[in-house]
Amino acid sequence: MWYKRTIPLLLVFAIGLAAFVQEFVPAHFSGRFREEITMWWRIVGGFGLFIGLYSLLHMHVFRVRRRTPGWGYSLFVFVGALAMVIVGLINEGYGPLIDAPKDVKGWFDWGYDHVMNPCAATIFSILAFFMASAAFRTFRARNLSAALLLAAALVVMFGRVPVSETVGSWFGESSFFPKLADALMKYPNLAAKRGIMLGISLGAIAQSLRILFGIERSYMGGGD
Amino acid sequence: MGEKIDTRQLLVVRRIIYLLVALAVIVPYLVKLPLPFAPLEDSRKVFDRVEALPAGSHVLISMDFDPSAEAELRPMANALLAHCFQKGLIPVVMTNWNTGLTLVDGICKEAAGKAGKISGKDWVFLGFRPGFTDLIVNMGENLKGAFTQDYYGKSTQGMGALAGVASLKNIDLIVNVAAGSTVEAWIAYAADRHKIPFAAGTTAVMAPDMYPWLNSGQMAGLLGGLRGAADYELLVRQPGDAAKGMQVQSVSHVLLIVLIVAANIRFFVGRRPAKRGA
Repeated sequence: MWYKRTIPLLLVFAIGLAAFVQEFVPAHFSGRFREEITMWWRIVGGFGLFIGLYSLLHMHVFRVRRRTPGWGYSLFVFVGALAMVIVGLINEGYGPLIDAPKDVKGWFDWGYDHVMNPCAATIFSILAFFMASAAFRTFRARNLSAALLLAAALVVMFGRVPVSETVGSWFGESSFFPKLADALMKYPNLAAKRGIMLGISLGAIAQSLRILFGIERSYMGGGD
Repeated sequence: MGEKIDTRQLLVVRRIIYLLVALAVIVPYLVKLPLPFAPLEDSRKVFDRVEALPAGSHVLISMDFDPSAEAELRPMANALLAHCFQKGLIPVVMTNWNTGLTLVDGICKEAAGKAGKISGKDWVFLGFRPGFTDLIVNMGENLKGAFTQDYYGKSTQGMGALAGVASLKNIDLIVNVAAGSTVEAWIAYAADRHKIPFAAGTTAVMAPDMYPWLNSGQMAGLLGGLRGAADYELLVRQPGDAAKGMQVQSVSHVLLIVLIVAANIRFFVGRRPAKRGA
């Protein structure tokens, strides 16, 4: 059907082409177009938050209904989300349509400072324990590639902390290990990262062209 | 396979490792260790770039992180703001992470309070707007249109801290303190497009990804992880949490290295008889 397929394809082609071409037209109207279109994108992007929220809640409703392992944790998602939404709507008594003064810390800030902040920091900090345990159990020089990777990791890990400078100074060159770690980052790491980035960028360009010319249509849904 | 560890043994080993890591983190925080260090070259480049700006220059600092990266990036942001205030620069702060709003607000207020600087006059916190790529493009055209108000609800039109700033083109330096993928967007849509000097401060895991930008000159300098933050604290002569954290990181890294080496020795020793028997 043309209004379901042809019109969206034409819209994508026209807007995509205009967004591409304006980059190469150094005129005033080009800047205005860019300003206008990015404003639109940001407004449309805002609706993405609702889709994200729906997706998150849908997933956790599914877990609770099916009693999948750990479903009890999903209940906390609803408790946390609901509590923050209610506090946000009450907005220190100002209601949802008026800005509460930002110089006074209210319930919303309390939730952020005393629940979200410590929880997020805790989750990240326990990673150190898991990483130490995982490194001990799995990081092995099983072959040459693994041995090289292991040696590079040890050098960077050591060279990035001050103790390496103290150890280096015992041998007369405090900057030896930091320089070695730096060399690993600046040459082999750089080469690998640049290759990966170029690969990703070329893939992104190819995918963009496929979308622009209507070859790639999966974003329209329906498995087409 | 050379190693065979049964489940019970594994649980014991894991608990010992957790205990050692806990000690390696807690003890160096309480005890002062003689571990001096010199700032890394990439950190010094960021400092030099800020140092070279004349008073009254605008430094856009995008603090794109939330509490999960606070330990690494908050000291970095503190030191950067302290440096800007010392030099009489005007920090234009914003965040692309809505979960970082309250955190960044606290960082700004703390630094400004210490330096006795006034919001809207000596610095501005613009807050958060969704869609960071489009927002950056938008700011390149009209900064006050992208942020009609600052975080505290004051209109950006006629704001003293934004005098002479119509768009990103009027910004003298952009620094992205980031825990995510915003760095590339800042380079592509702001720094490269409008020829604005750019530097970044990232978490340690992100730092290796930044080297292509550093090498190409698109990034003036890099503060990588807690070490980068500690370097900056040292350079602005305000040693704080990051400098103290270097002791913790030194001990925990050494512990990790010892554990990995011990595990590998065990692996090779355990593998030898298996080979002979084969």
